[in-house]
Amino acid sequence: MIEIKNLTKRYGQIHAVNDISLTIKKGEILGFLGPNGAGKSTTMNILTGYLSPTSGTVTIDGFDIMDSPREAKKLIGYLPELPPLYQDMTVSEYLKFISELKSVPLKQRKRQLDEILYLVKLGDMQDRLIKNLSKGYKQRVGVAQALVGNPQVLVLDEPTVGLDPKQIIEIRKLIGALRHEHTIILSTHILQEVNAVCSSVAVINKGKLAAAGSVSDFTASEGTVNKFVISIVGAPSRTEAQNALKETDGVRRVDFVRVDKDAYIFNVESERKSDVRRSVFNAVSRNNMAIIELRPVGRTLEEIFIDIVSNEQNSEQE
Amino acid sequence: MLTIYKREMGAYFRSPVAYCIIGFFMAIVGLMFWINSILQASAQFSTTLSSIGMYLTFIIPIMTMRLLSDEKKNGTEVLLRTCPVPMWKIVLGKYLSSVTLFLIMTVLTGIYPVLIAFLVEEGAVVGSAQDFGSYVGFFMLGMAYIAVSLFVSSFTESQSVAAVSGIVVLLILYFLQSIGASLGTTLGAVLQWIAPLTRYQDFTVGAFNIASLIFYFTFSAMFVFLTYVNLERKRVI
Repeated sequence: MIEIKNLTKRYGQIHAVNDISLTIKKGEILGFLGPNGAGKSTTMNILTGYLSPTSGTVTIDGFDIMDSPREAKKLIGYLPELPPLYQDMTVSEYLKFISELKSVPLKQRKRQLDEILYLVKLGDMQDRLIKNLSKGYKQRVGVAQALVGNPQVLVLDEPTVGLDPKQIIEIRKLIGALRHEHTIILSTHILQEVNAVCSSVAVINKGKLAAAGSVSDFTASEGTVNKFVISIVGAPSRTEAQNALKETDGVRRVDFVRVDKDAYIFNVESERKSDVRRSVFNAVSRNNMAIIELRPVGRTLEEIFIDIVSNEQNSEQE
Repeated sequence: MLTIYKREMGAYFRSPVAYCIIGFFMAIVGLMFWINSILQASAQFSTTLSSIGMYLTFIIPIMTMRLLSDEKKNGTEVLLRTCPVPMWKIVLGKYLSSVTLFLIMTVLTGIYPVLIAFLVEEGAVVGSAQDFGSYVGFFMLGMAYIAVSLFVSSFTESQSVAAVSGIVVLLILYFLQSIGASLGTTLGAVLQWIAPLTRYQDFTVGAFNIASLIFYFTFSAMFVFLTYVNLERKRVI
């Protein structure tokens, strides 16, 4: 659906985007991840035809964004970082203006706008002036604007930034609802967001593509979970609890963390292949102690992300 | 193009901008009418119109200052650049909205010649070729000024900078003719030829010159085109 090839954007000596190549399949939700100033917005701006690249190409469903901008732009709905709203218009005036701008056929206009207003839950607000809306509603108008003309591709630049937790959940739900009919690229520096809505991830750092793949690839590549947090009560002393854990088959390492009231909390690491939870439980209860918490600790996307970003920095310093 | 045009017309009249501009303009016209026609007991409205020409250098940049810079401020520039409408249509739509506002202003001044017609004694010549020519020239001059100040405003993201630099450039254009005349050399002649005001003065004496009309259209079209080029250039940077 979207093909990015060797995309580069240079400002003088600075490479804002440096040789990024990426293919996004139809129906995918790609999370574009990176620290602030990594080049996410620049890439999205080129993708949507707002900026022109220094070199490289972007094709949307076979249409080059520079060579056939009209055809390519028709396929894209774009929500920039700052929602592009005319403050002096009402919501419905604004959306009508957008459908004219995107030349939606006259017959479909009314029905399509009603559908969109329903989808983003703006029905009650359609006669309000945009400048009087709260930030969350403005963001929704921004999303609505991107949906006009029913484009196949949605590009959303930090759609949830600056919203309160409830609004964030609503916007994420909305993105989830859109996934069936659209290919979506969304940028964020919030990692939970990727976990919550995306099917694949591209990590970008200092203008370069640092890693790309599906979300499950990312988290699963680290193998089965082999780290646990275990809390034990009823132990006469810390050492006895620790020994009971250590003597269990398959446990490689036990680290004491802290005492919480009468519970001792440990970090336990096991061999990769075996699941030691059952035998740990048995061993502890054999010693007349009880486990009140046993929690696997997987590598979160967050840790992986920080690894990728800091590795890059280290290798540059060397 | 029509979409942008309608949106800009709406923006003018939804806010107090258009009303303020029209009000200010009409106040000046009224004052000039008092000085030139009433006090001098003259039935020629063309003298009033040509004395307003100077004030256009202030009014027109205020009309055009927000056309481009507002888009920057609102972030709606992104919208216009990523929608499937080519840039030249957007620029032209914006230009024509300003021209329409100016046309409305010009037509409103029409009450004065009508007033004169009621005031003059029987048998006096009213609605002369001078008056008609002046109107055409006045409108053409406005179109040219709008194009120039739109072009100037395409260099900046701030409304106030757009307005001030627009006024400066229009003032230079305004004095170009007298500068040219005082130089007297070939350069002076060239300056006089370029100066939009030179042609306007032809109109005020009733000389209806097709070449002047073509000059104004070309002059305006060139600056609208340059605005477009300048905005396209910014996409690359």
